[in-house]
Amino acid sequence: MPASRDFRRTALAGAAVAAALTASAIVVACGGSGGGSGASAKLSVTDSYIPLPAGASGDDSMAAGYLTVRNTGGAADTLVRVSSPGAGSVSMHQSTDTTMREVDSLPVPADGTLQLSRGGTHLMIMGWQKPPAVGDQLELDLTFAHSGTITVEVPVKPLTYRPGS
Amino acid sequence: MKFLSSRRRAAGAATLALTAALALTACGSGTTKSAGPVAVVSQQAQNSPYQGTVLAKHFDKPDLVLTDTSGQPFDLRKQTAGKTTLLYFGYTSCPDVCPTTMGDIGVALQKLPADQQAEINVVFVSTDPQVDTPKVLRTWLDSFNKNFIGLTGDLTTVKAAAQSLGILVEDPIVNKDGTVTSTHGAQVLAFQPSDDKAHVVYLSDTSTATFEHDLPLFAKGVAA
Ligand SMILES: [Cu+2]
Repeated sequence: MPASRDFRRTALAGAAVAAALTASAIVVACGGSGGGSGASAKLSVTDSYIPLPAGASGDDSMAAGYLTVRNTGGAADTLVRVSSPGAGSVSMHQSTDTTMREVDSLPVPADGTLQLSRGGTHLMIMGWQKPPAVGDQLELDLTFAHSGTITVEVPVKPLTYRPGS
Repeated sequence: MKFLSSRRRAAGAATLALTAALALTACGSGTTKSAGPVAVVSQQAQNSPYQGTVLAKHFDKPDLVLTDTSGQPFDLRKQTAGKTTLLYFGYTSCPDVCPTTMGDIGVALQKLPADQQAEINVVFVSTDPQVDTPKVLRTWLDSFNKNFIGLTGDLTTVKAAAQSLGILVEDPIVNKDGTVTSTHGAQVLAFQPSDDKAHVVYLSDTSTATFEHDLPLFAKGVAA
């Protein structure tokens, strides 16, 4: 079963990265969140993707979007708005145990990350100008309360894609 | 409800333990066999070969007759008897949790040899039957696996079946923008052919790796 072994290795690497990430985030948080007056957020966006919606047809497609916002600065920020020139609306959602609800904003902690991932916090992208296809890129404009707008080109991935797979 | 929340906690603990084991294994060395430690941890956590949460209460398979994706009546008990059956309640315009769970199961199932795949039924019951016609269901399910069974029909019947399994299903809500939000428990219940009762549950935060670990066990009829 070489395929499954490969998969496992990838999964392990992912787990190690996740664990390392969590550990470092905790360490930083323990260091104190004093911030001070000079601190500011330093944001970058990574690991963004849009899984191709299942049974996608026409422009009524609704897709979820996932990404990670890293903040290496000493001050917190807040994601307050997401929009796209290629889609009618982009909203921020949080999946709960039984449903999902729209949220107005999402916090980006100082020296921390805001992670949007499957089964959790996600973007809902509706009103696609052109039906999404694997390999397409969709521009997303992420507006933060303090850091202005960051524009990312988000790739459309296969339906069952998960980062690291 | 009490039942549900305690299950959730149990699953959370198992997941934590699993994560720890994976991280440890990964740090140890790239050449060790990875299956060992993971299996050990899950046994410690719940004393079962399965990584899913083993149910203390073995639910009966609901007596449910709905319409399948070919438009024919489908008797869940009769037509899934004698095979492992993974049962999930959801809706096709669900953008996050439903496709993630169906996709993870689909990916895990595809890794099995064909004869083992044939031992496992995956049944998706719609919680939004107005939108989820047999045709809509088929198109949606085909994205994951052409053999997945899709059922739709009277929502009251669906709600009663879900309730008998401790799964919450509410009437769908049409939002201002025309989209539909359905409130539904996102757990996958696994019924085993030994007694056609539910023995293992998977919550919505289940990883693909957990399904990849457990599906071969189901296919071989390993007791939970
Ligand atoms: Cu959503």
